[in-house]
Amino acid sequence: MSGQHGHDHGEEPTDVAGILAHVSHYVPEQAPLHTFVHHNTLHAFEHLPFDRAVVEAAKLFGAEPYQSEAAFAAHLRSGRILSVDCDAVLADELDRDGSVQCLARQRRFDFRRTRLRHLFEVPRGPALQWQLHETGLFDRCHSSADAARLRLVAAWADRRGPGLPPALRLPNALRALWDRLAAAAPMVARPAALRGIRRRDQLVLAGSDDVDQSVHPLLIRLCAAFLDQGVALWHMPDRERGFLAAVRALYGLRAPAPDLWAASLAAEFRRQQEAGEDAEATILRALDDLGVAPDRRCAFVRDTLMSLGGWAGMMRQFETRPDRAPVQPLPARLADHLAVQLTLDAAAARQALRDRCGPQATWADLESAVPAAAEERDLELAFEAFVMAQVADVDLEALDDPAGLAAWLDEVRAFGELERRRCLHLAYERRLRLIVLDGLANHAAAPPPPPPAPTFQAVFCIDDRECSTRRHLEESHVAVQTFGFAGFFGVAMAWQGLGEVRPRPLCPVVVTPKHYVTERALRADEEQRWLEMRRRRGLRSAVVGRASREAAAGSLVAAVTGLAAAVPMVLRCLFPRLAERLSRGLKERNQREPVTRLVLERVGDERTADGLGVGYSVAEMADVVENCLRTIGLVTGLCEIVLVVGHGSSSLNNPHGSAYDCGATGGGRGGPNARAFAAMANHPKVRELLAGRGIRIPDTTWFVGSYHNTCDDSMTWYDEDLMPDARAAALEAAKRAMADACTLEAHERCRRFVSAPRTDDAVRALRHVQARAVDLGQPRPECGHATNAYAIVGRRERTRGLFLDRRAFLVSYDPAADPDGAILGKVLGAVVPVGAGINLEYYFSYVDPKNYGCGTKLPHNITGLIGVMDGHASDLRTGLPWQMVEIHEPVRLLAVIEAEPETVAKVMARDATVAQLVQNQWIQAVVWSPSTGVMHEFVLGGFRPYRVDSCVLRTVGASPEFYGGQIDSLGCARTAASFGGGRRTGGRR
Amino acid sequence: MNVVFLQAFVATAVLLPLAAAGVLALAGWFGARLGERAISAVVGVTYATTTFVAAAAAVLGFFDGRPIVVDFGEWFAVGHYAFRWTLLGDALSLPFSVFAAALVGLIGAFSQRYLHREAGFFRFHLMLALFGAGVQVVVLAGGVDQLFFGWEVVGLTSALLIAFFHERPKPVEHGLRAFVTYRLCDIGLIGAAVWLHHAVGTAAFVRLDGAPWAGVHVPDAGSAWIAGLLLLWASMGKSAQAPLGGWLPRAFEGPTPSSAIFYGAISIHLGPYLLLRSAPLLDANPGFAALVAVVGGVTALHGAFVGRVQTDIKCVLAYASMTQVGLILVGIGCGLRHLAVLHIVGHALLRSLEILRSPSLLQDYRHLEQAIGRQVPRPKLALERFFPASLRPWLYRHALERGYFDAILRDHVVGRFLRGFRALDRLDRKFTSWLGGAPATETRR
Repeated sequence: MSGQHGHDHGEEPTDVAGILAHVSHYVPEQAPLHTFVHHNTLHAFEHLPFDRAVVEAAKLFGAEPYQSEAAFAAHLRSGRILSVDCDAVLADELDRDGSVQCLARQRRFDFRRTRLRHLFEVPRGPALQWQLHETGLFDRCHSSADAARLRLVAAWADRRGPGLPPALRLPNALRALWDRLAAAAPMVARPAALRGIRRRDQLVLAGSDDVDQSVHPLLIRLCAAFLDQGVALWHMPDRERGFLAAVRALYGLRAPAPDLWAASLAAEFRRQQEAGEDAEATILRALDDLGVAPDRRCAFVRDTLMSLGGWAGMMRQFETRPDRAPVQPLPARLADHLAVQLTLDAAAARQALRDRCGPQATWADLESAVPAAAEERDLELAFEAFVMAQVADVDLEALDDPAGLAAWLDEVRAFGELERRRCLHLAYERRLRLIVLDGLANHAAAPPPPPPAPTFQAVFCIDDRECSTRRHLEESHVAVQTFGFAGFFGVAMAWQGLGEVRPRPLCPVVVTPKHYVTERALRADEEQRWLEMRRRRGLRSAVVGRASREAAAGSLVAAVTGLAAAVPMVLRCLFPRLAERLSRGLKERNQREPVTRLVLERVGDERTADGLGVGYSVAEMADVVENCLRTIGLVTGLCEIVLVVGHGSSSLNNPHGSAYDCGATGGGRGGPNARAFAAMANHPKVRELLAGRGIRIPDTTWFVGSYHNTCDDSMTWYDEDLMPDARAAALEAAKRAMADACTLEAHERCRRFVSAPRTDDAVRALRHVQARAVDLGQPRPECGHATNAYAIVGRRERTRGLFLDRRAFLVSYDPAADPDGAILGKVLGAVVPVGAGINLEYYFSYVDPKNYGCGTKLPHNITGLIGVMDGHASDLRTGLPWQMVEIHEPVRLLAVIEAEPETVAKVMARDATVAQLVQNQWIQAVVWSPSTGVMHEFVLGGFRPYRVDSCVLRTVGASPEFYGGQIDSLGCARTAASFGGGRRTGGRR
Repeated sequence: MNVVFLQAFVATAVLLPLAAAGVLALAGWFGARLGERAISAVVGVTYATTTFVAAAAAVLGFFDGRPIVVDFGEWFAVGHYAFRWTLLGDALSLPFSVFAAALVGLIGAFSQRYLHREAGFFRFHLMLALFGAGVQVVVLAGGVDQLFFGWEVVGLTSALLIAFFHERPKPVEHGLRAFVTYRLCDIGLIGAAVWLHHAVGTAAFVRLDGAPWAGVHVPDAGSAWIAGLLLLWASMGKSAQAPLGGWLPRAFEGPTPSSAIFYGAISIHLGPYLLLRSAPLLDANPGFAALVAVVGGVTALHGAFVGRVQTDIKCVLAYASMTQVGLILVGIGCGLRHLAVLHIVGHALLRSLEILRSPSLLQDYRHLEQAIGRQVPRPKLALERFFPASLRPWLYRHALERGYFDAILRDHVVGRFLRGFRALDRLDRKFTSWLGGAPATETRR
């Protein structure tokens, strides 16, 4: 936390409840890992425009707002950003004052343009001194100046030192220029870092030991012990009474405490206990003890909590969402946490103060011991101005004049690093936006022939990973129609599968389920036998697993079964796929999972203990089915088979596994939702009701629920035994088509894995992804959402046959059937926050893996079944691991909505969440009019028509022709195979 | 079987890993940019071959019946002292050699995938290869002098891999902590070598009649006590025995596979290995044997208690390792040498697999819970239940603070030295400012 001075606003609260309410927005909002739900890392800043929010948050958290300038420079070199992008962004930004003459001959626009073409590194501190004194900086012009400019500078130097030998003229002139710039540079305070307002910061500045080094290890241990969900065999005593009470009881004991810093702690905790203080009183007292003025309290508390923000955030999660606790909810309170942290801080800081300033010292003594910040000339700015004076087309004579010099420095400073990175980020986004908008427009401008009449239909999740699955399905089996709907399919339920311990919600996080759905085995005796067997096996492995941690039992286990561990050890290390098959084979040898039925239809008004309805009434089922079918526009022309495909992901060595599952089911697996939806749509009474509402589902139509595992590309099919025999052949054909699509999907995914085989053989690719899913040593089981960049809301006709590089959330929506925007409102209300949440979490974890993400996975250490630490005892790491985001392109979600601008405006007027995300530009919104075909980009204040940039759209046979052999992100192309043209399948199968 | 073949096998088991580490180190030194496949191939082929030759030597040597001795001759001599590098392949060393080489090879194969695209890929594999070579030097050493070199290599690679993520301060701190502990305890090993030369004239392992394998042998009881204590001290550091074991949970900062092979499998068991080589001292000296058992017993009890309250999987596994190594020491102290060997191998396999699997804890727990059909049950017969309820909070806090060993060492042992040095620093500054007439700038702590 730096730069807190002068940051206090008058409106910040001073009472404990107000402070806690205020600061609780800043602590990370990540749930325990088993229900990982993607969300905007900077959710607390959404009331600000994106570019202001990232900068404010960066200041507050010491984080990065954008990619580094070096990264952008690399993008410019690689052609990922073109110079026209920079020019267009600058023209946009400077449309009013771009032509301002900032110096003779130099327009502001030209200066900035030149600056973005010369992204040199500005050395800091000692590195700057070294460059000045050791590198011959004044001997020649800067290396990035072009030839014409070199001649101009040389001529200028000649004019300035006519009496000097030619070889000395340039060094002489450059040095004189540097001296003038250095003398004119404004004063700045250095060092800027570590000027926090916590006592710990002042103590460090005053030369004392870092008290956080004493307090944090203990606080981490206490938090972890309190929140533990089942790692420890012995739980913290009295934790049912709350964190503060438990810590007081434990550390108020009259036991010897060898830690010198903690000498006064026991007495303090006993005093609190005896006085019967509540957390709020303890907080106030500790703040007074630490000498914090009331107007500083809020910032002080925020910095204190953020020094171990992950743990504070987890306390708050347990406080606000006890239902999300993995095993056992606990009476956690952020206030308790703060009270404990401040008590420890106060004890440690007092001790350090005594050590530093004497036994009777006060905080005033400490403040006077802190060395004042030194003021010095901003030589970094002078350096930048110096180099730019050589490179940019500026009149060097004008810099002789002090006013000119000051103007030049101001101009250079006004386009400082942050501002440059902001512009480069916009240019980076612009390139991608152009690629996809041009692709869409060109694809729509020359409509391909319509595909043949479908033999089956398939409804997928809108997930970007299904974007390519759908394309491959359409390419390998042209007679199919696909749709995208949020992967819970409108079935917002609390689901409890056979043998599961507790129900879990399978619906978007913003929804609280009202229905409880479970399954029963067809034959009760089979269920009993199966459960019993599983139970015995489970108990056996629980006993062995626990025993290996204990002394006596452990040695028995080690000596008796230890040698047997050689078999899994060898197999897991060398042959992961075989190892998993053998272990699964052993488990399933005697016990097949029994055939089950959903308990879906509610009879009467049966409710669970939590007040959830058991199942759905027929009318409710009809609502669910109607809502989905109307939204995706599938109300007529239903085929014999309609697949409903939920998805999820299974992998090993992956604490963040739940982040790979379906976001629309709140980080769960969407198979049960698909199964329930199909059962609802097949229900005769539901169909009767729907017919009354104008949706006639033919008697020949059968809905089939299924589940797509996006990690190993396998499919699971539900309730096949319920299907009429007449549909069997059609289903077989659909299953074969899906199997082909999954195989090709595996092939396409493999192109992004460096360690995958480069092959045309799609079956080999499938085997490779199967191995990844079960490999203990694989930190990148699949790509997850790493490629997400767009959301396209509209008819599939607009995107079918367009290669979108599995980057798009594809949402089916028929604008023709929705004149007043009612359906669009519902769609955007779900898609925009969820899509933006996923996209922004990837953005922030990528641009700053240290502060916003959780860094590399390799040292991660699962703690308490709730989160990961880095190695031994660190803050709880939040955000996404680097391995998950490393191929991501950090851009804001580009949402292309096929609707009239007025309709979207109406939706925004009704939905404040969507409006805020669009207006503050947390997503890039583009509206695509279905009547005129014109696209409008949302810019500050309204919609602006988009002009197509390039009219070229490559056509290929099937997508493997386009992506084959490529490892990086790709642009758009038209795939003829999706319409029955070209080769049917690209990959050899 | 020709003895020369056996000798060649044993020599290869030491020289090949050394050569592989040397090749990698030279490649790194000259800036050759080896691909991940090439690096992994070097490690994999080396340790597969080493496993094979060591296994061949073990099997053939078993039928031959005599220990295999390889003599690389005299390397240097100072006065009365001469350093001969000899290797000893016998019933103790050859199984360990096979086992260690196989594990290094397996971890190498595992790490090819685990460390894929990590900036330190080369560094990790170089350290792994060097560690494997160090282990072979330790295991196949013909005496304490030779063993010492491998012992140091193991310690160094261990510390460097703890500090693998050196861009964060904590791993470096913890690597340093492990290194300091190792160095302090290495005094024991080098002291033992010196004492053996002084008392016996040689530090080579000799095989007594009826003993299953060769070992450190000292004829007179007093010297045996001294040599024994020094060797015990050396093995206490490497094997994280109480009260020096605070570095072990902190050592889990590196990538998971390195934690698995060092602290689950091999490095942690080198202490017991050294004590197995000291078997004659234990046999001749029941008091010393009892001391070994007591150190192990105290550690096991400490580890078992502290491990029960740990809430993160790596600490849990660290204390579980510590507990078992303590019990192995108890076994050695009680004379159950063959059981101890079995215990070491079984424990190493079990624990390293558990550590490799630790990132999958969430999935595993969920599956377990589903299989059982309710919350995973807590153990019924728990250690703490032997204590009255009023004592349990004390005990819990004691366990949560890891027996306060760290605090005592930091604030009351090391801290005393530091405070002393700071007092000297203040005196020094006073003196210089008196000399120079101007106040000297404060030395930053």
